[in-house]
Amino acid sequence: MGKYLDFVSIPPDVWSLIFTWCNLLILFLLVKKFLFKPVQNILKQRDAEVREMYEKAEEAEKNAKSLEAEYSERLGGAKEEAGRIMQEATRSARERGDEIVGEAQAKAAGLISRAEAQIEREREAAVGELRAQVADMAVAIAEKVIEKEIDPSDHARLVEDFMSSEVEKR
Amino acid sequence: MERAIVMAASAIGAGLAMIAGIGPGIGQGFAAGKGAEAVGRQPEAKGDITTTMLLGCAVAESTGIYGLVVALILLFANPFIGQL
Amino acid sequence: MNVDVKGPEILFEIPVLGGIGVSETIVNSWIIMAVIALVCFFLGRNLKVKNPSKRQLVAEKAVTMITNLVTDVMGEKNAGWAPYIGTLLIFSAVSSLSSLTGLRPPTADLATTLGWALVTFVMVQVTNIRCHGVSGWLKGFTQPIFVMTPLNIISEVANPISMAFRHFGNIASGLVITSLVYAALAALSSLVLGWIPVIGQIPFLQVGLPALLSIYFDLFTSVLQAYIFSMLTMVFVSGAQD
Repeated sequence: MGKYLDFVSIPPDVWSLIFTWCNLLILFLLVKKFLFKPVQNILKQRDAEVREMYEKAEEAEKNAKSLEAEYSERLGGAKEEAGRIMQEATRSARERGDEIVGEAQAKAAGLISRAEAQIEREREAAVGELRAQVADMAVAIAEKVIEKEIDPSDHARLVEDFMSSEVEKR
Repeated sequence: MERAIVMAASAIGAGLAMIAGIGPGIGQGFAAGKGAEAVGRQPEAKGDITTTMLLGCAVAESTGIYGLVVALILLFANPFIGQL
Repeated sequence: MNVDVKGPEILFEIPVLGGIGVSETIVNSWIIMAVIALVCFFLGRNLKVKNPSKRQLVAEKAVTMITNLVTDVMGEKNAGWAPYIGTLLIFSAVSSLSSLTGLRPPTADLATTLGWALVTFVMVQVTNIRCHGVSGWLKGFTQPIFVMTPLNIISEVANPISMAFRHFGNIASGLVITSLVYAALAALSSLVLGWIPVIGQIPFLQVGLPALLSIYFDLFTSVLQAYIFSMLTMVFVSGAQD
């Protein structure tokens, strides 16, 4: 049986106290070195990595947004351009169409007027011829009826009067 | 003879010192009762209440522990016997 | 029957300065320190940022829990205290729990707990001086009026003593009761089985029964006292800052 310290002694054994302090200090350093330092380092690294990832993601999002804006801007420009082109095309087409139609109408009008003029001319010619024939026929008929020579100038005047009254009547 | 008297007195003193156990007993019982009440009123805060109650109990216990230490000193490390 | 509750045995002496007695307490705390250091070394080895192993998760969980406890009680700016508080918590808890393995717990020696409490006391005073200056520290004792100075000094000195005795008393009472139970069981078994020639000398009843008492006196009290000791350290230190 060795020696024993007291169960409780006030003040306590000085060497035990000193050993206790040394033990606590040594254990503190060991725990800090072996557990806290490495784990905190790892946690910090992970934190940094996560933050970096977030930053990257944010940057990518920003990029995507600017690209999107650019594209939508370009798309808008293209649409506008297309609309403009379309309008232009429509306008020129309409102009061209109008032009064509106008030309066609002019041509048609020319044709019509020429045809009308020809018709008129022919009608007049026909009327003149008819008139002459009718006059001749009337003279012949009258000669036959009255058996009497009428003075050709009177005759012509008579026919003329008759014809114009007939024409007017019509 | 003197030694016997001192030892007997120390034993009695140790017993008397343990009367200090009454205080923490009452106090801790009260604290536990209040803790149960609090858990009943707010069951979602059970963890916090238990932690706080145990901490308070342990601190309230210290007076009883002082009595115990005095009793232990009187029984196992009697300072008076050495002075005879 | 003679119940003998002894203090820590002096296992050997270092033959300098008239013989420094190294007690059971110190040797046991060396064993515990070795165990803790080995566990820490094992846990803190080969850490990886990605795909942590289960071992690493345990280490991270432990460190995070202790850091959270410290920052909850002391505020975010005192996160640097986490290693010390963690050491105190683990050392105290494992020391007290070592009684389960039959060692004499180092915390059942007043020298250990008083040593820790004095470290806390010095830390509190140093923190106070660092935050308020020497004059502010001295002035703090005369608050709220000058007459209170002796009382303030007493209350300041009473803190480490109360911490030390609380921790010591809880663990030592467990030790005393466990020794009493062991002695009683030995007496009982020699009474019951003593008539058998050889086997009767072995105290069979000591097997198993004390384990039930251990659950309260060692497991619960050990962990609670370790928690309270480190909690009070945190509270006192952060109280000295403002």
